Amino acid sequence: MRPLKVIVGALLASALLAGACGRGRSSNEFHVAMIPKGTTHEFWKSIHAGAIRAVRELETKGVNVRLAWKGPLREDDREQQIQVVEGFLSEGVDGLVLAPLDARALVRPVDEARRAGIPTVIIDSDLASDDTVSFVATDNYEGGVLAADRLGMLLEGKGTVLLLRYQEGSASTEARERGFVERVTQKYPDIELISSDQHAGPTRDTAKRASENLLNRFGQGLDGVFTVNENSTHGMLLALQDLGRAGRVKFIGFDASETFVQAMSRDQLHGIVLQDPFEMGYRGVTTMVAHLQGEEVSRRIDTGVTLVTAENVETPESQALLNPPIDEYLR
Amino acid sequence: MRLGPFLGLAAVILFFTLLSDSPANYLSMRNFRIVSAQTVIVALGAIGMTMIIVSGGIDLSVGSVIALTGVVTATTLRAGWSPLPALVAGVVIGGLVGVVNGLVVTRLKVLPFIATLGMLGIARGVAKWLADQQTVNVPDTWVNELAVTFPDPAWLLVAPGVWVALLLAVVAALVLGNTVFGRRVFAIGSNEAAARACGVATDRLKVWIYGLAGLLFGLSGVMQMSRLRQGDPTVAIGSELDVIAAVVIGGGSLSGGEGSILGSMIGALIMAFLRNGSQQMGWPTFVQEIMIGVIIVLAVAADGLRRSRATQ
Amino acid sequence: MLTLSGIKKRFGPTVALDGVALELRPGRVHALIGENGAGKTTLMNIAVGALVPDAGTMSLQGDRYAPASPLDARRAGVALIHQELSLCSHLTVAENILMGQEPTRRGLLDWDQCRRRAADVLEQFHHAELRPDRRVGDLPIAARQVVEICRAIVSNASVVLMDEPTSSLPRADVDRLFAMVRRLRSHGVSSVYISHFLEELREVAEDFTVLRDGRSVLSGELASTTDAELIAAMVGRSVEDVFPRRDRAAPGDVLLEVEHVAAPPAVSDASFAVRRGEVLGIAGLVGAGRTEMLRVLVGLDRAAAGRVRVRGAEIRTGAARPWEVLARGIGFLSEDRTHEGLTLRLSVADNITCTRYGSCARYGWIARSEQARQAEQQMRALGVRARGPAQPVRTLSGGNQQKVALARLRHQSADIWLLDEPTKGIDIGSKVQIYEAIGEAASEGKGIVMVSSYLPELFGMCDRLAVMSRGRLSPVRPIAEWTPERVLEAAIGS
Repeated sequence: MRPLKVIVGALLASALLAGACGRGRSSNEFHVAMIPKGTTHEFWKSIHAGAIRAVRELETKGVNVRLAWKGPLREDDREQQIQVVEGFLSEGVDGLVLAPLDARALVRPVDEARRAGIPTVIIDSDLASDDTVSFVATDNYEGGVLAADRLGMLLEGKGTVLLLRYQEGSASTEARERGFVERVTQKYPDIELISSDQHAGPTRDTAKRASENLLNRFGQGLDGVFTVNENSTHGMLLALQDLGRAGRVKFIGFDASETFVQAMSRDQLHGIVLQDPFEMGYRGVTTMVAHLQGEEVSRRIDTGVTLVTAENVETPESQALLNPPIDEYLR
Repeated sequence: MRLGPFLGLAAVILFFTLLSDSPANYLSMRNFRIVSAQTVIVALGAIGMTMIIVSGGIDLSVGSVIALTGVVTATTLRAGWSPLPALVAGVVIGGLVGVVNGLVVTRLKVLPFIATLGMLGIARGVAKWLADQQTVNVPDTWVNELAVTFPDPAWLLVAPGVWVALLLAVVAALVLGNTVFGRRVFAIGSNEAAARACGVATDRLKVWIYGLAGLLFGLSGVMQMSRLRQGDPTVAIGSELDVIAAVVIGGGSLSGGEGSILGSMIGALIMAFLRNGSQQMGWPTFVQEIMIGVIIVLAVAADGLRRSRATQ
Repeated sequence: MLTLSGIKKRFGPTVALDGVALELRPGRVHALIGENGAGKTTLMNIAVGALVPDAGTMSLQGDRYAPASPLDARRAGVALIHQELSLCSHLTVAENILMGQEPTRRGLLDWDQCRRRAADVLEQFHHAELRPDRRVGDLPIAARQVVEICRAIVSNASVVLMDEPTSSLPRADVDRLFAMVRRLRSHGVSSVYISHFLEELREVAEDFTVLRDGRSVLSGELASTTDAELIAAMVGRSVEDVFPRRDRAAPGDVLLEVEHVAAPPAVSDASFAVRRGEVLGIAGLVGAGRTEMLRVLVGLDRAAAGRVRVRGAEIRTGAARPWEVLARGIGFLSEDRTHEGLTLRLSVADNITCTRYGSCARYGWIARSEQARQAEQQMRALGVRARGPAQPVRTLSGGNQQKVALARLRHQSADIWLLDEPTKGIDIGSKVQIYEAIGEAASEGKGIVMVSSYLPELFGMCDRLAVMSRGRLSPVRPIAEWTPERVLEAAIGS
């Protein structure tokens, strides 16, 4: 019994030492983990593609980055995301690039990472913590403002408008919602927000159901709609189409999808606010590597928002946002 | 036929009609179409679940099977299958999952709760694997029109899927009430040992029950795919609880031997009307959750009260 | 007709049957006699295909007979009426009777034929409550038993096996059942009949086989065998005196006083008092309200009126708080051993000590060794046959289970024992031990109330007796003032 214990102990100790030595970074070899909010949507695939582009570019500069990509399958499973982060901590990566599902729930794991000497770059959605290296994201508030201005222009400053929120606790979409609501109330006094307290929920199905129910209630006198992310835009679009209201309501969505472009060409969708997820993924990785190499990085990096409409959809800038070169980088 | 579920449904509708600032809107045909289309998925699941619960079993894997079969139909459609075989593929996969559940319960002697809890994970995992962890978009076919709120042609009034669910509900009610198979489903739920002693092949019967129910869950998955126009491996998480709640509100007993298809359908409608109503009232999600919880408990308590009064 | 020879069956380490022979002659009723645990039910399950024997052969009308399932047996013309009720309470009477052989027309259940065939059989029992469309769950127990019997009859069996069919039937139904058995016999149907009641067996059976410890030890014709011989064969020793002799010392002070307790509809008026050192018997028909009265006294059900005093202190009868009552030193033995009397999945030790865990626990922590020691002490005192205190009660025979239930009362050291059918459905050997334990408790100064439907037992054990009839309890009289006829008269009494 006793000799066995000694042997096992010795083995464990040497394994730990070896691990610790392995972590001793040779300043051009890094293991970076990227944790999105979900993996099913095109948005996250673009981020992934951008991250891979960063990896390839860095490789040409002689910096080897091993990128791990793993996230929860459902965009409201905070617990699962926390577990993913913790998994990477015990795996011992050099840095985390995280899109937190919740501004607060992820603070503890990130804090623990910092104490273990693993820095974190936050992307997409803010985290209520000062312990992060940098926040690389869209100015979501500005995105809401853009949408409000577009609706204001289309409705010529008057009418009734509905805002379908995404979910409680998601900082990025809440910023969009705030931007939208504040802009409408300040700049367009004749536009009435008839409903702004309902949430679309995590999946397309929940979004569609919520949209159907809201449209039945407010559908008749409704002039404009704003939805704040890909899922809720999809759900609202399906509901408008099924209820035969598509095209009669001015509809601004958020995020990119092939379906949305088609809907814009059919005049069912009148604008989408796009972020640049490809850029976000790219900057997320480069920022992290720069930090790991000891460079000073900015605390806040804005990756920009763009309004794409039927008029400007064909421009190269819009096309780059709509069809990020995912296939070039993934598989 | 007991009246409880009907009264419950009427009460829910009346409640929101009185509260609503535009009752005409709430009671409109259009709203009814919306609710009925929203109910199809849970309703189809509840038909199968009623059989299982009456037989004294339970199936927790419904939500995962819905996701899996939706993904199967979507992948086959995208692979260029014509719509009908793709739809059948989804339904058959659902049936196969059910048969596996049945075999695990009868051959490996695993309690249904555990067996299907395992399947809940397995089916969900396979769905994600098949879908490559992404949503699977599908080409435009008539499958996409099955659960549409406003059907084409318009004389259908409600979505084709609603008619399919209705037809299957009628058939299932007849089968449960008027065939030897149906009565034996009740018999094993009521007293399995007795049924066995009377020469009922209980094991084979259970495999049939889980298999048949699986076919219905598969169809439910196809409807889910049709509603979203995509196969989503993360959809319908937790919907097994909706399905079970529908059966229980409709008078099903988790200890077996009791339950009716009609009751379960009403149960499903009650929950859909509640969600629809509170959303239109602008109430937050948590209010709906609390109300549905209260209704489940009240429905079962009222049923127990009625029964104890009946025996006195 | 049906011949069994050399039948052996083991369940794991336990030998249930160790070479049983039985010959059932055509058109005869054959009594199968034996203590519980002797292997009667196992034998019947083998004959009906629910179990497969390890060794031995069976033949039916000269042909080899090896049914693979109950359905198989039924097709061969062998049907079993179960000891435990095996009905589906959510289904109708007709459905239960025809289960396994439902008539169909074009795939659908033929309800008309179903009802008609059920009604045909039911007609032979003139039971007002038995209509084909009633839900079995709504029927009283006796009526359910009739449904069970009808199920066996309807299959046109040539051999009917009856495993204690009368254990919960009132006398009128027993008579109808016997008429049925005789009618079946006149049609050439042979029956095997299992019962504990020797008097009953003599009424209906001609031949007999006695089983003891999994072997057939005696068989022959009932008419030429005395009860003493049968009992000796069953128990393996001659039973001189079943009931214990005890000193009937003058009863001590009053322990329990019951005044005009009522709990409609079952109990309308009951008054009695129990003193230290006496056994008070309560007789009556099944359904007279005896069980319900005990349940009220223990606080399992609410009383609508009346007062109950324990050692002079009143207890609340309207509250239904059994834990308060039990704490006052009342012990209760339920008639429903499997559902209420014992927790079958738990060990013997847990069952014995559960009403007074405090005796072997500190700060809520049970000292297992102390618990086992106390349990073993009780097991020895009552002669519980088990591998040890850790064995689950479920795996014991009926008689041993009942001894465990009584051991709990002893362990609880309750002053007042309320016993509801303490020897129901158990073998004679266990009965004797239970009688001894009751007598001993009375000698120690406990007050005992014993509800029983078995008159010899009441006359053998009690000091005083009262009879319950339709919810009313007669005045209590010394046992010497009663005769079986007067008890019956009072029980049926207008």
